[in-house]
Amino acid sequence: MAQGIIRGVDGIYLDWAATAPPYPDLSRAAAELAVDLFGNPSSAHAAGRAAKTAFEEARKRLAKALGCAPGHVKFTSGGSEANAIVLLSLVYAASGGSVVISAIEHSAVYEQAMVLERFGIRVRVVKPGPAGIVRPGDVADAVDADTRLVSIMAVNNETGAIQPIGDIVSAVRDASKGFRKAPLVHSDAVQAFGKIGFKPAELCLDAASMSAHKLGGPRGSGCLYLARGLDVLVRGGGQEDGIRPGTHNLAGAWAFSQAAERACADLPASLENARSLEARLLDGLRSIPGARVLPDGRVPASTDYSPYIVGAAFPGLGGETLARVLDDQGIYVSTGAACSHAKKERRVMDAMGVDRDLSFSAVRISTGRDSTAADIDRFLEAAESAYRRYKT
Amino acid sequence: MDALYLIKLGEIGLKEGNRAAFQAALKHDIKRRLSGIKTVLEVRDGRYYLVVDPTHAPLVEYVLSRTPGVNGWARAERADKDMSAFAAIGVALMKAKAQNGAKTFKVEARRSDKGFPLDSYGIARELGAVVLESVPSLRVDVHRPDAVLHIEVREKAYLYTDGEPGPRGLPVGSGGTGLLLLSGGIDSPVAGWRMLKRGLALEALYFNAYPYTSREAWDKVRDLATVLARHSGGMVFHTAPFTDVQLAIKTGAPSDRSTLYLRACMMMAADMLAKRRSLNSLVTGESLGQVASQTAENMRFTESYTDMAVLRPLAGTDKEDTVLEAKALGSFDISILPYEDCCVLFSPKHPVLKARFDEEKAAFDALNLRPLVQAAVDAVETVALPFSFPA
Repeated sequence: MAQGIIRGVDGIYLDWAATAPPYPDLSRAAAELAVDLFGNPSSAHAAGRAAKTAFEEARKRLAKALGCAPGHVKFTSGGSEANAIVLLSLVYAASGGSVVISAIEHSAVYEQAMVLERFGIRVRVVKPGPAGIVRPGDVADAVDADTRLVSIMAVNNETGAIQPIGDIVSAVRDASKGFRKAPLVHSDAVQAFGKIGFKPAELCLDAASMSAHKLGGPRGSGCLYLARGLDVLVRGGGQEDGIRPGTHNLAGAWAFSQAAERACADLPASLENARSLEARLLDGLRSIPGARVLPDGRVPASTDYSPYIVGAAFPGLGGETLARVLDDQGIYVSTGAACSHAKKERRVMDAMGVDRDLSFSAVRISTGRDSTAADIDRFLEAAESAYRRYKT
Repeated sequence: MDALYLIKLGEIGLKEGNRAAFQAALKHDIKRRLSGIKTVLEVRDGRYYLVVDPTHAPLVEYVLSRTPGVNGWARAERADKDMSAFAAIGVALMKAKAQNGAKTFKVEARRSDKGFPLDSYGIARELGAVVLESVPSLRVDVHRPDAVLHIEVREKAYLYTDGEPGPRGLPVGSGGTGLLLLSGGIDSPVAGWRMLKRGLALEALYFNAYPYTSREAWDKVRDLATVLARHSGGMVFHTAPFTDVQLAIKTGAPSDRSTLYLRACMMMAADMLAKRRSLNSLVTGESLGQVASQTAENMRFTESYTDMAVLRPLAGTDKEDTVLEAKALGSFDISILPYEDCCVLFSPKHPVLKARFDEEKAAFDALNLRPLVQAAVDAVETVALPFSFPA
């Protein structure tokens, strides 16, 4: 296990989808860079110019990792802000129009879309199939002449389900042929970039959101891939071509670009490791009497699921309870579930048609670059014994 | 200069036979709550005179407002025994009242020093005249004044204005010590507060269902006990690990019985702990009919597992009134935090409403839960929550 990396926290970290432990050398180097190149990249003097050079270097590096032109990379404070820039660009139009999202979007898209409703913009929510995957045809059916934005995530953060973004883009383009204005197609790719291959330009997306801390970079750093113009709601000093005003975060952008470069370079090996852990985990879960994989039909090495994220259910044992017992043993997983049928919802699982008894007993196990087979075995062992002891 | 407080005693003044004991209990309780600071506390003519260093005034005033047995208190100014000294202080006090919006006033004088040249009527008249002259915005109204200037001429003289209310009731501990079954809900802290005001000191017992409930749920109940500790002057807080008892009920009992049986086990555990701690009663936050399972029949069943007095001060209280009391107590905002006490897995959708006594006892006893309950009581963890002044 990555004991050496997770300083101050002893234990088995299986919550990489929440955040990845930062690369220690990058964190330190970024801190030094913030001191050494403290100039504002927007300043015309030498201190500013030096910072600007480094900043543009980071942009090029990140663009390379994304497989796109540097001019299409806009640095942001993270994935949520990148999503918000796109969604909030719709509020200018006099006639509201509509947006199409999926029912399994992260709250950073879903809740922001709900805000748009208050501006008179209709939100159409497309449900996934029981496997947690949105059908391109369903998205296309939801698009009509007044649709201005389609936003479908690349990889679901609870189930790992990979959405067919390329096909969705094609279906939307076909559906909107002949419309006066084609909708902007965006994808929240926070769980995809640097983990599974994700090239927004190849997918013909107009926009995509990425986050640094999911792949070993720092918090507060992310980017928006943007291949089209936008009406930006938040205005300021005009940075990032006016798309994201605010003084540039050089250290954050630099560390993000470095982490992305590493993640993409290591991607084939990481993916192979993740697939073997996924197989071990899925097999292990299915050998625990009563335990279930979510969704049920998921098999190892399927190209429909990110191997880094696995949803599991332990019917009869609340997800929070299991996570607590595991936490006591130094095993860290996450859950969005609560031990109450009435008060909390499980939007993603509900949309997939997962029974509440299952979804409220769900936990998410997510692995990363340092995860090992021993981590998975310890989890399985602890989960099985907790399930036996506390199942009701 | 010292700060002087006049403390008016409540109900304890009425109980002829017990007066001395109650007065001693209240004196002891006030001194205990203020044990961190130097105090001089004297009882004269059914009143307490408390002298402290003025730097401690915020603490003292906080404590006096929360000590059962205190009917009210006022911070008094000590004056030399002559009219010009009375006038100087009296005018200053009334000017402050006028600035706070008072339009009318009267003077209430008491004189126990019969050697003073004026009688109480004379003192009131002369002092009132000076105030009227010096504070032109005030008029006299002897029936419904906005402000009252009190003067007491004893071996020394004291002036004060309208006091602050105390909680009334009886001194904590005068009724012995009971065990409060404390949950994270709204009711049980209020039930505890009511019994504190009736003179019952309290220890608190929480039934912990970890890992079905969270650490936050425990923290929440501890915070509620801490709120009560501010009113009781500290509290002993017990946590009984009840997970195994709950699991045994879940496994062994019909699901519509689980709430009833859990409550019976709680009563049994509370009984064991109270006897071990030499406490005299159990206190619960139950209110008749508040939830479907809180029926007289069910209460009869659960309390058959103790022979101690089970005090239910909220039995006849409307929930809305309990909420108002919880807000005044300072427990409400904690109680409504979302950390649940008891997992829904253990709460039946349709609990049994009216336990049939003999039938239910036979079924419950057949489960033989007493050893598990005993084990939970043996494993109780106890922390002493000190009185904390939220500065």
